[in-house]
Amino acid sequence: MEPAGQGQGQGQAQGQGQGCSAPEGQQDAGRPRPREGAQTSHQTPSPRKKPKSPKPENAITIAVSSRALFRMEEEQKIYSEKGVEAYVKYQLDHESEPFLPGAAFAFVKALEAVNTQLRELYPESEELFDIVLMTNNHAQVGVRLINSINHYDLFIERFCMTGGNSPICYLKAYHTDLYLSSDCEKVSEAIEEGIAAATIFNPSKDVMVPENQLRVAFDGDAVLFSDESEQIVKAHGLDMFFEHEKTYENKPLAQGPLKGFLEALGKLQKKFYSKGLRLECPIRTYLVTARSAASSGARALKTLRSWGLETDEALFLAGAPKGPLLEKIRPHIFFDDQMFHVEGAQEMGTVAAHVPYGIAQKQRRMAEKKRAKDIE
Amino acid sequence: MEPKPQHAITVAVSSRALFDLVEERRIYEEQGVERYVTYQQDNENVTLKPGPAFNFVKALEHVNARLRELYPDEEELFDIVLMTNNHAQVGVRLINSINHYGLTIERFCMTGGKSPVGYLKAYLTNLYLSADSEKVQEAIEAGIASATMFSANKDVPFCDNQLRVAFDGDAVLFSDESEKIVKEQGLDRFFEHEQLNENKPLAQGPLKGFLEDLGKLQKKFYAKNERLDCPIRTYLVTARSAASSGARVLKTLRSWGLEIDEALFLAGAPKGPVLVKIRPHIFFDDQMFHIEGAQQLGTIAAHVPYDWATGFMKKPKAKNMNATCG
Repeated sequence: MEPAGQGQGQGQAQGQGQGCSAPEGQQDAGRPRPREGAQTSHQTPSPRKKPKSPKPENAITIAVSSRALFRMEEEQKIYSEKGVEAYVKYQLDHESEPFLPGAAFAFVKALEAVNTQLRELYPESEELFDIVLMTNNHAQVGVRLINSINHYDLFIERFCMTGGNSPICYLKAYHTDLYLSSDCEKVSEAIEEGIAAATIFNPSKDVMVPENQLRVAFDGDAVLFSDESEQIVKAHGLDMFFEHEKTYENKPLAQGPLKGFLEALGKLQKKFYSKGLRLECPIRTYLVTARSAASSGARALKTLRSWGLETDEALFLAGAPKGPLLEKIRPHIFFDDQMFHVEGAQEMGTVAAHVPYGIAQKQRRMAEKKRAKDIE
Repeated sequence: MEPKPQHAITVAVSSRALFDLVEERRIYEEQGVERYVTYQQDNENVTLKPGPAFNFVKALEHVNARLRELYPDEEELFDIVLMTNNHAQVGVRLINSINHYGLTIERFCMTGGKSPVGYLKAYLTNLYLSADSEKVQEAIEAGIASATMFSANKDVPFCDNQLRVAFDGDAVLFSDESEKIVKEQGLDRFFEHEQLNENKPLAQGPLKGFLEDLGKLQKKFYAKNERLDCPIRTYLVTARSAASSGARVLKTLRSWGLEIDEALFLAGAPKGPVLVKIRPHIFFDDQMFHIEGAQQLGTIAAHVPYDWATGFMKKPKAKNMNATCG
């Protein structure tokens, strides 16, 4: 059926009896209370207004898997140890218990906060974030996912539950701009199909992230940019790399898998700037690169300039660990192509996502194969 | 050996659903029945080209082949009946074409102009596909799952080792009670209503029985450990919004003991692009808007003309009928 146009903002009062909203960061020590029953004894005079989902071609579509959005380790264990029937039964038995927030949860909440502000400034626009749940989970588990989503008052109306099949083909049908999953194989498939994707990891400790500003941090090479420079470092060493970068300073690097997502964020940022909100812009982007500024930084900055893109902050670390700086930035998500940096970020409480692209992956795969052979 | 009708899952198809008879239809309409029959007889040995239901029928037969491998004496198979009001002599050309493609269609009803609905009942028909929306409406009124076939506007390759059937939700698998609320009271009231009544199953719709039949056959494969290689896959493709109105749908299916392999909640996004990815052999929907969207991107769509509550039968737009099926 076709929904009628109901593009109201979310400034309306919350409806009655539709589940408690526990803002994240205020959870009880144990699992959250089960959602209150859906029945009420009387109908509310006017229903709570929900915004309409934007058309896929207008929106910036972020697809998240169920395990990226929520913590499902216990359930995953049951699936691995006892099989799919026991897993589905467990989920059904615990249907009214909302899941705990997963790695991508805070990021999704921050996207929705940006949407709220965009709707206030541009009530008719469909240039918003649209979050799609893209999972190969069994359809009946959908009820628990729906209950959890409503418990936290998230706005996720589009689901693809693929019952065991790969969700990759649906990503394209939804014009997906970014795909986050905890399954690195699906993420690799997506990257190969040209979709910005990353494997998201839970941080080792909880760090408070801002609720009123979406912060996204990007590595440079093999994330925003192609891996051409990383190839040179690995093949010829650092000095040759510096020389090369200086020689080609004015030749833009080729683009990397997350360039499009930075571009999408930039488009939304400009909408705030044009309403005079540059200082209080609810989106902030960061470049956090191991590059050395004087020796190889200019090419990175000039490449961004040639694309007409900006990052709000640029940190050149010249090989220093990224963890401590990320801890200060407190981004909702940090993208890097090297597990070394992803793990370093994780340890210090940053939600990090691995982009399986470029030369670093081949080396990692070769190292894994060698380890496997040694074990045999 | 043909399965007995009471055991089989009987799928009745009209000749224009099974084969491309656009040209012949034109002759019938412009030059009359005599000329039409003569033309058919003259071209008796010219094989007809596949029509919109052709690939669906081929896929049903593939499932039968797999079932027979696992259960050699099985009678719970698909049985395809040609249900047509075509003139009896045209039967020769139909038989020749069926044999050309190696189809197993041994049961024919050639009703020479009369309505086939009585025979549908006699055959205990589980699903009736026709290019003629009036016959489809008659069948629905008689309580038989039925839909009007539309060709796709372009060719999209099909999976040849797995039958894929996609269903809309409201007014197809479920009754149209919810669609009425949207129309009369708007979307927000609809969301509220669905959440309040989340645990009350929706009433069943015209295609619920066919999903049930598919599920029965799927279980036979699961029983032989073929879950991962099951040659039947079902999809729910609904415009509903998941968080606001999805739970009632999933709980309704659960209360019926039915499963669906994949569930896509689109929250109003167009169905065409996701259907292209699914590549179903047939997609059932009650709204021509979605049928046309599917058609444009190459999906074979079938319109379920159902509106029990108001008693009005929804007719598909005339222009599509003649253009695609003749």
